[in-house]
Amino acid sequence: MATIVNVPEEKVLHVNNFEFTYASSDTPNIKKLSMPIAKNCVTALIGPSGCGKTTLLRSFNRMHDLYPGNVYAGEVLFEGRNILNPKEDLIALRAKIGMIFQKPTAFPMSIFDNVAYGLRLQGIKNRSELNDKVEKALKDAAIWNEVSSRLKHDANGLSGGQQQRLCIARAIAVEPEILLFDEPTSALDPISTQGIEMLVSELKERVSIVIVTHNMQQAARVSDYTGFMYLGELIELGQTEELFVTPKEKLTEEYITGKFG
Amino acid sequence: MTYRQKRIAINNIVMTLSTISALIGLGFLLWILGVLVFNGIEALNIGIFINEGAPPGYGESGLKHALVGQLLIVLYATAVGVPLGVLAGTYLSEYAQDSKLAQTIRDISDIMMSAPSIVIGAFVYAIIVMPMGHFSGYAGAAALAIIMIPIILRTTDDMLQLVPSTLREAAFALGAPKYKVVIQVVYRGAKAGILTGILLGIARVAGETAPLLFTSFNDNFMNTDMSQAMASLTVTMYNYATSPYEDWQRLGWAAAFILSMFILGLNIIGRLFLLRKRGK
Repeated sequence: MATIVNVPEEKVLHVNNFEFTYASSDTPNIKKLSMPIAKNCVTALIGPSGCGKTTLLRSFNRMHDLYPGNVYAGEVLFEGRNILNPKEDLIALRAKIGMIFQKPTAFPMSIFDNVAYGLRLQGIKNRSELNDKVEKALKDAAIWNEVSSRLKHDANGLSGGQQQRLCIARAIAVEPEILLFDEPTSALDPISTQGIEMLVSELKERVSIVIVTHNMQQAARVSDYTGFMYLGELIELGQTEELFVTPKEKLTEEYITGKFG
Repeated sequence: MTYRQKRIAINNIVMTLSTISALIGLGFLLWILGVLVFNGIEALNIGIFINEGAPPGYGESGLKHALVGQLLIVLYATAVGVPLGVLAGTYLSEYAQDSKLAQTIRDISDIMMSAPSIVIGAFVYAIIVMPMGHFSGYAGAAALAIIMIPIILRTTDDMLQLVPSTLREAAFALGAPKYKVVIQVVYRGAKAGILTGILLGIARVAGETAPLLFTSFNDNFMNTDMSQAMASLTVTMYNYATSPYEDWQRLGWAAAFILSMFILGLNIIGRLFLLRKRGK
């Protein structure tokens, strides 16, 4: 069992005995994993490549359902229900649990239409309401000043860092409860990375954040809680500072001091 | 000879041979185009677009009937072939993906693409012309549509698969239902490629003669009734070019020229779409 220390009362997600098996695998890729995700905090998931951190993250918005044959077991509780239920309304779920990907995923349309995409999916057609919400999302994603004069331009003309902030604007425009970040800065330069990290810290006041990262410094900089995963299991979860300074598990200590990984 | 000299010598020989081969191919192409343009432009006059076919020696004859027939047949073939091809390609790429059924459909389309077009003409003759009892524009359009569908299906499939899966995932992650992901995001990403496939598909069938010989046959006069035999540029060109009358032969050249320019135009527009996409 994993060591879990000092996680606050209020949780947005609760993972209980979660197991996940890819279609191509005979044995579970994530094994009997339990962990709380704190509300309005940043939780980082770290661990060596292949430890299952991205797999876990993509289970929270049921991304694995896009490909046939993947199997979930156990529960992930969100708003009092198990979102792994096959009858779960995935369209509604994904509107509440947004995701930012490793590479920027600007759609081949204008900057405005990118941000308005999720809003239009929710049936908002009123032009002034759309304008207001798009502007607010772009301001919240700290990209408004750079794009306000060219909202009608193709989003693919933006730089990588700008596209990633555009994707964050697109995700927060629909006011989700949770944002999942899957190594959001691994394709970006240091300055863009800093911009995204600052943004993550600001956003947590309104939305709970789970971020998967390869970069331990990044986890230390942006997160309140950190979970260390290894071979499909959660080894340790605790307050970020504590986990990095005084890890309870030997494996955690070895990983963060660079003995393996 | 040192190893280095030998290497350079082999390099030069291969380069020379391949350059000569390319020049021979290009030479023939330019020769064909040159003869075509020379004879075609000479034969062109306004009467070609105004007059219908006339018996040799009886007044001025033109190609109006063939131009109109060609356009109608290709238009009907496009109206059937494009939606079917694009939707089937969408099914393969977005829904069936790597299933056995999808692979089988892909293989069959590849075979159909290389099937001799005259066979498809004979097939349509058997299933449409024979039961109807006479040749018709519809039968010609059906034959061309059958040739067009696998081309458009395969390009659509390929182009959609080039759209990165993360783009689809990002749209799903915002809570989009599948049909909206396909129409609003995936189609947009593959727009230029699909359009190119459609244009090249139209260009391919517009130059077909064999399947039309069996199906729409020919008509020397103006006819816009698709249920009757209908003239087309290709069949008209074949008939006129092999006739003994000099003014008909000139019309044959004119038909060849107009048809080639039409297909060349479609091809150039198709390539421009692709270039514009890559330029981004």
